[in-house]
Amino acid sequence: MASNATSVEERRERARRRKPKRQIRMSDVLAWFTLILLLLFSLVPMAWMLSTSLKTQFAALQLPPEWIPSNITFEHYIRLLSPGSEVGQEFLRYFWNSIFVSTMTTLAAVAIAVPAGYAFSKFRFPGRQGFFIAVLIRNMFPAIVFLIPLFIMMRTFGLIDTHLALIITYLTFGLPLAIWLLKGFYDNIPTELEYAARIDGASRFQAFIRIIMPLSTPGIIATAIYAFIIAWNEYVYALTFLSSRNLLTLPVGLQRFFDEFVTNWPGLMAASFVMSIPVVIIFLVLQRFFIQALTEGAVKS
Amino acid sequence: MAEVRLDGLIKYYDDVLAVDDVNLTIKDGDFVALLGPSGCGKTTTLNLIAGLIDLSDGEIWIGDRDVTDLDPKDRDIAMVFQNYALYPTKTVYNNLAFPLQMRKTPKNAIDERVRKTAEMLSITHLLDRLPRELSGGQQQRVALGRALVRNPRAFLMDEPLSNLDAKLRVQMRAELKRFHQTLNATMIYVTHDQLEAMTMADNIAVMSDGRVQQYGPPEEIFYDPANLFVAGFIGSPAMNFLHGEISTENGVTSVKGDPGWVYPLTPANAQKASHCTSGRIIIGARPANLILSREEHPGMIPGSVYTVEPTGDTTFVHITIGDQIYVAITDPFFRAEPDDPIWVDLEDDRIHIFDEATEEVLREDGLNSQSIHGKKTLQPA
Repeated sequence: MASNATSVEERRERARRRKPKRQIRMSDVLAWFTLILLLLFSLVPMAWMLSTSLKTQFAALQLPPEWIPSNITFEHYIRLLSPGSEVGQEFLRYFWNSIFVSTMTTLAAVAIAVPAGYAFSKFRFPGRQGFFIAVLIRNMFPAIVFLIPLFIMMRTFGLIDTHLALIITYLTFGLPLAIWLLKGFYDNIPTELEYAARIDGASRFQAFIRIIMPLSTPGIIATAIYAFIIAWNEYVYALTFLSSRNLLTLPVGLQRFFDEFVTNWPGLMAASFVMSIPVVIIFLVLQRFFIQALTEGAVKS
Repeated sequence: MAEVRLDGLIKYYDDVLAVDDVNLTIKDGDFVALLGPSGCGKTTTLNLIAGLIDLSDGEIWIGDRDVTDLDPKDRDIAMVFQNYALYPTKTVYNNLAFPLQMRKTPKNAIDERVRKTAEMLSITHLLDRLPRELSGGQQQRVALGRALVRNPRAFLMDEPLSNLDAKLRVQMRAELKRFHQTLNATMIYVTHDQLEAMTMADNIAVMSDGRVQQYGPPEEIFYDPANLFVAGFIGSPAMNFLHGEISTENGVTSVKGDPGWVYPLTPANAQKASHCTSGRIIIGARPANLILSREEHPGMIPGSVYTVEPTGDTTFVHITIGDQIYVAITDPFFRAEPDDPIWVDLEDDRIHIFDEATEEVLREDGLNSQSIHGKKTLQPA
């Protein structure tokens, strides 16, 4: 026995110093390899986009391509963002349109999904199960399936070539997942909290606003990001529903860089880069809420 | 504080009858425990009083107000939940302040009340913390504080101690009883723990199957159970039940047990048994009222030792009679081997006689004022 050879003190000391061994397993290596591959897959196009946007039109078409441009130029960015130039005016117009449509979609999605998610989670009403499934079924079809029906509906309501048509359409994409996500959130909030608030003097609505809603902030933020990104990136519906040039959103507007004469690659890349900035910023600032929201439902008992 | 009166409460969940005609009057300043096994309807009854769920039928009165159709916020009650239900995003201070804020109390009055309550519960040093930074016992105190911070007409408590460890539970039990006595508050306390009910309550309502089986002071519930359910539910180890047939020979009434033993009844017990309609009765005897003997005596019930459990203070002896096992509490130094023959005598003035058919207790005068079939509002004796 070990205790015969050494004193208890020595054995204790040795046990204290013993570090858990970190073994590198085959599965770890495989995981890293996969992650690096995925990282390259998503980062290389971004890097190329940034690189191209800083080149001249001539340098952009050079073969072999330069990864780091020898002559860095910001002319495309300046042109895009200066309200003086014709291109800049148009780009800023599209940018503003996109911001407007996406923000409105986000606000409406949150305003509808929060009470809807809560109702599906805590209220018992006839057809509750059926409604909930109906909401989710929408997501089983590719968005393009609804293009013609929605177009006819919008035409009937006289909404063609308005931003409202896009906002309504994007809501039909974003709401199902938003409601589902928030319902999961509210399922995890004990009913007793609402009970306690109501006994403490709150009406049902006050209990929701003052106690339950603050608890679901991560879910609400995740829902908002999701709705915003869907609206920000959407192309086909914006192309179909809008015809007036001054109403176009960015994804459609970017097309204009293909049109005239020859494709202005650096200009297109600069515009694409600027377009990705709001989403990246929003995501960076709020990502911890997003991750919390997506994992919470799965992990919490 | 006020009296709380429940008039014929009925609650259906779809087709399930959760609360079945509950009639109770909780006197002003009384501490009443709703005691019963899980699923007996006690928590549902409490939630009905609070107004958190809708009543199917009946009336609820708090003081001189009919609150049946009022919102929880308008019933002027406070409640402590089993999982405490502290507001996770609010500090302890704001948890305590919330009920006052909702009632538009002036700010300096809120501060005064919150600090006074915190002091009473010795949680002043925790006021700036969030609930998740507190231990279970501390959370429990805050939950209690949120109820005590205002002067509601009644306190409702839903198993408030069941999430605490054993030692803390005993301590909080004593503290709760002190609060009740100093505040003179009307308290309705739901529990499945008979010890909590027995130690704290002025009156206990024992519930089963959505009905109040018996309502009275702890001693009455313990010493004078109204029916077989109450007798079996209260007391630990549980009461022993011996089934048998009544027979009268030469003017002496005896019970002939199913395994073949014959136990003569005293005149008083014979009088009780005479009210039995079915001819078959159940003798209820608490473990402490079983007297064991190593030798055979006439009129004793023969059995054999199943196992012996010394607990220190006393010894539990499990005894096989027929195909049933019964428990007796004897002196701490009683020892026996399994299957040793043993004879059991009963303390005749401490046993209870039940009608096997109705499971109701049989009394000498044949009346059972506590009968569950009585539809009138039960008043504590």
